[in-house]
Amino acid sequence: MKRTKAPHARKSAGNAPARFKVGDRVRVKDLPNMFYSRTQMYARGVSGTIAACTYQDLIPEDEAFNQEGRLEQYYIVRFRQKDLWEEYPSEKDTLQTEFPDRWLEPA
Amino acid sequence: MSQRSELRQQYEIIGSLQPAIHTPQNWNYEIPSALYRAYMHPPHDVGGQRDVPVHYEEKEEEQWELNTYVTCEVLAWRGVWNAEERRRRADNDLGYTLYLGMPYYGRWIWAAARMLVDKNHISLTELLEKIAEVKSRYEAH
Amino acid sequence: MQTTHQHAGGGHEHKAAPTVEEITDFEVLEIAVRELAIEHGLFTAEDHRRFTEWAESIGPAAGSRLVAKAWTDPAFKARLLADGTAACKEIGIDWAEPTGFGTPSDYMNFRVLEDTPTLHHVIVCTLCSCYPRPLLGMSPEWYRSTNYRRRLVRWPREVLAEFGLILPPEVEIRVEDSNQKCRFMVLPVRPSGTENWTEEQLAAIVTRDCMIGVALPRPGRTADVHPVHKARHPVHSSPSMRAAE
Repeated sequence: MKRTKAPHARKSAGNAPARFKVGDRVRVKDLPNMFYSRTQMYARGVSGTIAACTYQDLIPEDEAFNQEGRLEQYYIVRFRQKDLWEEYPSEKDTLQTEFPDRWLEPA
Repeated sequence: MSQRSELRQQYEIIGSLQPAIHTPQNWNYEIPSALYRAYMHPPHDVGGQRDVPVHYEEKEEEQWELNTYVTCEVLAWRGVWNAEERRRRADNDLGYTLYLGMPYYGRWIWAAARMLVDKNHISLTELLEKIAEVKSRYEAH
Repeated sequence: MQTTHQHAGGGHEHKAAPTVEEITDFEVLEIAVRELAIEHGLFTAEDHRRFTEWAESIGPAAGSRLVAKAWTDPAFKARLLADGTAACKEIGIDWAEPTGFGTPSDYMNFRVLEDTPTLHHVIVCTLCSCYPRPLLGMSPEWYRSTNYRRRLVRWPREVLAEFGLILPPEVEIRVEDSNQKCRFMVLPVRPSGTENWTEEQLAAIVTRDCMIGVALPRPGRTADVHPVHKARHPVHSSPSMRAAE
C-alpha cells in the first residue's frame, strides 16, 4: 500500500540527541506530574538497563496537546522487579517499559 | 520517586480516592503536599495499585462500540485529533469518577464529543440539539 | 408500542426501530457524534465504512500464523525478531493499512517478544489498553480492565496463576508494559508433542491468550475459555444501529 503522509506531519527543530545505547544503566526521572504523562509512577526514580532503542517521535506530553516539538529517541528500559516493588519475592523476574530520552538520566 | 516509602504513601492515598456519589461540602484552605501530589496524579497511571482477584470475562461487542472505535480512529485519520490526544481526554481529563465508572467505549465517545466542542468543530448547543433529535427518532409511535 | 409489519409481496418482517426504553444513552451519543462529524465534513460516511471494513477483518488468526511460521522457518523467525513490522508483510499483514500510514492507535512499531525455556513474557498496557490489533484483533475486555492493568505489573505470578498458568521460580517472568508506540506480541516456546506438525496444526494451538502471555500453547488446547457477557445490540444484529453502509 502506498504510504501517504500522516495528518499533522510533525515539524521538528531538529531531533533531540539520543544519549543512550543498549546496555546503559539509566534512571527514570521524577519530573512534576500534572494533567498527563506516560511515565508511570512505579518507575520514577528507579534504575534499569536500556534493552532496546526503538524509534524517534514526539513526547506524549506534547502530542497529547497537539504541541509541535522535537522528535526524541525512545528506549525500552528493563528493571528488576525487586527494584520496583519492595515486597517482590523473586530475584529473577523483570519488567520492561518504554520512555523517551528526556525522561532518562545516566544512573 | 527516589523513596519507595513515598510511592507506598501515594498508593495509599490514590487507592482511597474513590468515585463519590455524595460528599459533604468540605472547604479546604490547605492540603498536605502528599495529597496534592495524589490529586495531580493522572488517573490512567494505575500500575501497581492494589486490587483483588476477579473473574475475568470476554464481552460481545455492541454495534455502537464498533461504531465508536471507528469514529474515533477516522477522526484521527482525517487529522481532527490524534490517538494520544484521545488517550489524554478519555483516560485522564474526565476525572476519577467517570474514569472508573464509565464503560470503556463510553469514555471514547465522550472524549470525541468533548474534543469536537473544545476545538470549535461543533457548538455545545448543536451537540445537545442533535442528541435530543436522535432520541426523538426512537420515541414510541 | 412498536408493531412489526409486512411488506407487500415479500412476506418478510423488518425489525422495528428500538424504542426509547431500548436505545441506550451511549447509542444516542454515538449516532449524534458521527452524524455531526459527517455533516461538518470532518470525515465521510465512506471513510467510516472503509475503516469499519478493516476493523472487521482483523483477528488473532494472523498472529497464530505468524507464530506457526516462526516455529517452522528459522530464517523467518530471525527476520521477525529483527524487524517485526516488516516480517508481518510475509504473512499478508501490512501495518500501514488501512490509511497508508498505519492506524492512528496502533502505529507501525511491532516487536515480538521471544520466550525461551527460562524466560516467559506477558503483556499489559497499564495506562490504557494498547494492543497489536493488526495481528490479534480487538483486545479482550479483561485486558482493558483497571483490575488487570493494576495487578499484572506487580503480582504477575499471582495473576498468571488465576489464568491457570503457574511457572517454576527458575523461569524469569518478564512483564512488558506497553506504554508508548511499540506494539508487542509473545512468541511462545513451541511445545513438545508437535513434531512434524503442519503450520495449520501449529497455528490452531496458538490462541490469543498465548500471544498475550497468559497461557502456554500445548497440543489439544485450541481455545481460550472465558465467560462471555452478551451484548444488548451486538455488531450486525441491529440494522437501525448500524452506521451508514
